[in-house]
Amino acid sequence: MNMFVSALLVGLVSVFCMLDSRLLGRLNFEQPLIGATLVGVVLGDPMTGLAVGAATELVSMGLVQVGAAVPADMVLGGIIASAFACLTGATAETAMTIAVPVAVLGQLLGIVFRSVIAVLGHVADAAIEEGDFKKARSMHIVVGTILYSLMYFVPTFFAILLGTDLVKSIVSFIPAWLTTGLNVATKLLTAYGLALLLSLSLKKGMGAFFFIGFLLAAYLKLSVTAVSLLGVAAAIVLMDLKFGHKVAATGGGTTALPASDDYDPLEDDE
Amino acid sequence: MATNEVSTRKKISQFFWRSWAIQDSWNYERQMNMGFMYGIAPTIDRCYPNADKDPEQMERKKEAYRRHMAFYNCTPQTSAFVLGLSASMEEELAEDPKAFDPDAINAMKTSLMGPLSGIGDSFFQGTIRVIAFGLGVSLAKQGSFLGPVLAMVISIIPSVLVTWFGAKLGYEGGRDFLEKMQHGDLMDRVMYVCGIVGLMAIGGMVATLIGATAPATFVNGTVKIQKILDGIMPQMISLALAGLMYWLIKKNVKSGWILAICIFGGILLSVLGILA
Repeated sequence: MNMFVSALLVGLVSVFCMLDSRLLGRLNFEQPLIGATLVGVVLGDPMTGLAVGAATELVSMGLVQVGAAVPADMVLGGIIASAFACLTGATAETAMTIAVPVAVLGQLLGIVFRSVIAVLGHVADAAIEEGDFKKARSMHIVVGTILYSLMYFVPTFFAILLGTDLVKSIVSFIPAWLTTGLNVATKLLTAYGLALLLSLSLKKGMGAFFFIGFLLAAYLKLSVTAVSLLGVAAAIVLMDLKFGHKVAATGGGTTALPASDDYDPLEDDE
Repeated sequence: MATNEVSTRKKISQFFWRSWAIQDSWNYERQMNMGFMYGIAPTIDRCYPNADKDPEQMERKKEAYRRHMAFYNCTPQTSAFVLGLSASMEEELAEDPKAFDPDAINAMKTSLMGPLSGIGDSFFQGTIRVIAFGLGVSLAKQGSFLGPVLAMVISIIPSVLVTWFGAKLGYEGGRDFLEKMQHGDLMDRVMYVCGIVGLMAIGGMVATLIGATAPATFVNGTVKIQKILDGIMPQMISLALAGLMYWLIKKNVKSGWILAICIFGGILLSVLGILA
């Protein structure tokens, strides 16, 4: 396939993934597994895309975007790594050596970009003062969409168009110890991502649930899905203990409600 | 009344799509403020239809637009509820400018964005995404395309339901629902369930996704360190690594340093034959 066409297609996949969180409320198309697999599909090598997607997704698994924090951009990393693996025939492990540096660069780009586009808000402020409401709205829905699309399209397009041979020759110089070493590094990164997620989710007195989940999976070899479903069942049982059963709540059951003085029996009819 | 020209269903579908588009101009300064303004714009436009001819209406319309340019940040799916609620308040205010203090609208938005982002993020990013992509990756690693497909199906369904019913509840239930959430313990219950399921899933992922091992052997390969460790507790090293990272985060080590430790530490430990 013509390299220009490939670069264009990969660029469009990256725009699609970016617009997932811009226009579709983050339905999770903006995930390395999806982006990398789609790149594999458009470049005619879906199996490689899937393998790179699984590897990059593992690294980013726990990197949640909460509030203003921007984690390493593994989506961009996964897309570009997948494209290189498909175009050069590199393995998923080798592609990871591209994904991580690209993700860190993408993170820097994201921080700069999200600082600069604050300007749009001031343009919209001025437009509202002039009564030009259409202009204010288009700052968000038109200009925002275009700029965010370009933020992903431009680096992806040029990385593929200009970089394949360059990256290929660099990759062929990578010694084996570095590849296996980076493989261990991605395990540490996965541990970091999960620890980040844990630090956001862990509340006082809830630590035991983390260990229960770990022990179920480690000793009993249960899958994450099985552990989660057990979690739902356990939470429903424990919720009654903690908040009092719906009927027992007024009768001063095991746990009294903190706001029992303005308790309204109709409120619990949900 | 002019505000009732459009069917409720149409309004709710507007809140639905515009909540999803709320991050379209996300920036560090006021974050999703323009997204919220864009979301409530059709409501404001409907409330003040004669703004072009009537200077007094024009002033109120500008005031409403200005109001919704304030800082805003919340999970898009749960924002639909805030958007619906704000819209019902804006309509009330347009009908009777003295109905309540206009500042109440932004006060309500500010008080809701914290808890609703908390619930929204722990539900969508912490629980749904973890389950969807935990499952997706394990299937993808076996070379199955069901992985990404299933991950998307699991992600999309709750997203659609929460956004749609959030908008409906916010707009129709209005402040009644708000009061119910605050006085009852519904909010606490939701947070509690999300907390337990999320933590157990994270625990399960530490055991299944990291997979670090100790390759060292002694006495001509007859004593395998990993085998001994597995006899005590499987995935012990993965748990220890996650614990170490958690400790670094709690020590407020900058994420750049931790990334560097992961990459260079990983290479070093691999070269020394300690980890594989």
